[in-house]
Amino acid sequence: MDFVRKLFKGNLNLIGRIMFGAAGLILLASLFLPWWHLDLVAPQYPEGLSVIVYPDKLDGRIDIINNINHYIGMKWISEEDFPEFQVITKVAYVIIGLALITALVKKRWLAWLTAGLGAVGGMIGVYDLWRWLRDYGTQLDPMAAIKIDPFTPPIIGTNKLANFITYTGFNSGGYLLGLSIILMLLAAWRFKEHEKQKE
Amino acid sequence: MEKGLFKKIVLSLAGLLVGLVIAVYLSAQLNPEAEAAAAFGGKNISVDGVPDDVVQAALKTYVPPGQLDEYYMFASGGHSGNVFVYGVPSMRRIRTIPVFTPESAVGYGWTTESKEMLGEWSWGDVHHPALSETKGDYDGRWLFVNDNANSRAARIDLDSFRTSQILDIPNIYGPHSAVFMTPNSEYFMLGSRFAGPIPYGTYSPIENLSKDYNCVLAAVAIDPNNGEMSVGWEVLMPPWSFDLSDAGKLDSEGWAFLTTYNTEEAYELLEVNASQREMDYVVALNWKMLEQAANEGKYKIVDGVKMIDPLDVPGSVYLVPAMKSPHGVDVTPDGKYFIANGKVAPVATVFSFEKFKECIDNKDFQGEERGFPVVNYEKVRVAEVPVGLGPLHTQFDGNGYAYTTLFIDSTIAKWSLDTFEVVDVTPVHYCPGHLCAAEGDTVSPDGKYLVSLNKLAKDKFLSVGPSHPESAQLIDLTTDKMKILMDVPTDPEPHFAQMIKADKITTWEVFEKDPSQPGAVYEKENARIERDGNNVTVYQMGFRSRYYPDHVEVNEGDHVTWYLTNTDFDEDITHGFGICLYDLNAEAQPGETIKFEFVADKAGVYPFYCTNFCSALHQEMQGWFIVKPKGL
Ligand SMILES: [Cu+2]
Repeated sequence: MDFVRKLFKGNLNLIGRIMFGAAGLILLASLFLPWWHLDLVAPQYPEGLSVIVYPDKLDGRIDIINNINHYIGMKWISEEDFPEFQVITKVAYVIIGLALITALVKKRWLAWLTAGLGAVGGMIGVYDLWRWLRDYGTQLDPMAAIKIDPFTPPIIGTNKLANFITYTGFNSGGYLLGLSIILMLLAAWRFKEHEKQKE
Repeated sequence: MEKGLFKKIVLSLAGLLVGLVIAVYLSAQLNPEAEAAAAFGGKNISVDGVPDDVVQAALKTYVPPGQLDEYYMFASGGHSGNVFVYGVPSMRRIRTIPVFTPESAVGYGWTTESKEMLGEWSWGDVHHPALSETKGDYDGRWLFVNDNANSRAARIDLDSFRTSQILDIPNIYGPHSAVFMTPNSEYFMLGSRFAGPIPYGTYSPIENLSKDYNCVLAAVAIDPNNGEMSVGWEVLMPPWSFDLSDAGKLDSEGWAFLTTYNTEEAYELLEVNASQREMDYVVALNWKMLEQAANEGKYKIVDGVKMIDPLDVPGSVYLVPAMKSPHGVDVTPDGKYFIANGKVAPVATVFSFEKFKECIDNKDFQGEERGFPVVNYEKVRVAEVPVGLGPLHTQFDGNGYAYTTLFIDSTIAKWSLDTFEVVDVTPVHYCPGHLCAAEGDTVSPDGKYLVSLNKLAKDKFLSVGPSHPESAQLIDLTTDKMKILMDVPTDPEPHFAQMIKADKITTWEVFEKDPSQPGAVYEKENARIERDGNNVTVYQMGFRSRYYPDHVEVNEGDHVTWYLTNTDFDEDITHGFGICLYDLNAEAQPGETIKFEFVADKAGVYPFYCTNFCSALHQEMQGWFIVKPKGL
């Protein structure tokens, strides 16, 4: 019984709880903001053509990019090709829920579980993004009019592709997502109540 | 004199002469620019030492890369049937808008829609562009122009710079006295230049001109929501030649003013016979009163149009005597004066609207002609400004000055609307017709620039043979003295122009995707050819740099309906479409679906291709139209 009691006895301190609450809300806010972007700039597109990735959709001038990409035989970018969009927000809502519960019940094991889920989810997300970038950049149609070397744009940084320079990086939502994960990890790691004092 | 000495002198003089000739010849060979430089005050214009005022003038027209002009100027293209668009102050020609003439550069006149709009005519004579107005100020929505040849008016939408409607105006022969806009774009009006029997097709011998011929003033109503034009009503006028016109504004709102020549009602050798009377008229019409009459049913229908006889509406038309054969009539920005330009009399006559009203109220008339009261000239006229020879048109700045072109003098005179004195005159090159001041026809002109639209450009530009270009000259109005900043050649033949602040115009760049639009295909899976008996419909899609389908086979004699959708929803990515040897050519703007119809009456193989350079592989954007011969 003592074990069970202990299990439910919260040991996350007030700061830790606030951090988890904040992490949940920040993650929630990030769902409405763009996470990542890719900008293509060329002499005839000084204003840039961008792909903007939200957790549940793509935005930007994708039709135009598709029309141009057919020259190098790149696959048509279409939202339907990304099953991730069906999953990402759901996972995020679970983590948000867990983070808020953690803030309420103060359990450190729950804190570690939530933070861990967030961190692993984030890493999978970054890996997934990289996988898509490699996919699009390397699986080029051999029949294409213009042959170019396969390429993988960096997740953050610049890359040159024919007459285009690509600029990639996280957007506000992506930064908030990162901040949320860091807050949770930090809270789980540092902000616990001292059991001795409590007893 | 000694013989030897004489010989010495003669020989040395001859030597000097020969040496001089050789020196002059050599120096000309070594320095061919010397002559050109000498013509330019001895300065070498291509390097430095250009006079400071020339540099200053050039700088005032210089628009650095990446910056845009301050004004749009819309100039009529005369019998080219086009409208020319310039940026001011750079005077760069930005666009030619085809209106009444097919223009293969943009495929205007081959698509079903544009072909239908152009109707049976293959040319038109664009005269006087008028921008739509709200409260007497340009609002940047539409531009209306008239066709002096085939009695039409057209609307250009200023969100796309495309001609979107052409309207036939019945009962008018040559609507030269047009178009002029009422201050809230309720109507624009057109008046006949040529008298004729109406409706069209009516026969009457020319000797019957006074009896059977008429001129007409038409009021074209504008739908305030979409600019749609329709003939509101017309007014039956005497068989005089109505030349130019302007609408009253502010104080004189509700009135329209038209100049006439040939009140003599001559029908032979008009140069002489229409110049016999010392005075012709400015005809003043109370259009609000005429509108009211139209609403009250005081009209008969002529060729489908409500035709009002103004004698049935007493008080709607008055005649104001004006110097022999006046040309332009212009209402001042405050609406207080209207000015008639003498054409063959060396004065611009200023009439007071207030005094005109007083004459009407007091029935102060000097007579009557054709049933219309003639107001007392001495009472109505406030000044005869001695502007110079051949005054044609007047424009205004925001500081109380008027500017009048003098065709015969080849000058522009600046004169005060306060003292009615000429304060400055500048020569132009040569024979100015109309002129255009920045927002010059509004209630608040900008007074920054003036453009003189000259009929001749002799000696101004590199020779192009017997037909010289016309010219436009940009004049700075910001200094006390008018200063010519720049000359540009133009195509035949701008008549009038209007200049509007660039930020009043907002354009869109790409057509919106509209799957409900007939014939549009946005996915290559839907591109197809359908046959129904002898009717073949092609649903084609084009994007950089391919067509789907890229070969189309039909049978000789098939009626072909061809839709082409440009699915590059990308600014400035236009695809052309021309079929070789089939006299077919069109252009699809980004996102646009075009349609054209024709009979495949020639058997054989006819390549089609993209005519508008669209991408690195544009040359590959092609296909074949194959017409299978009958009986094969
Ligand atoms: Cu093309």
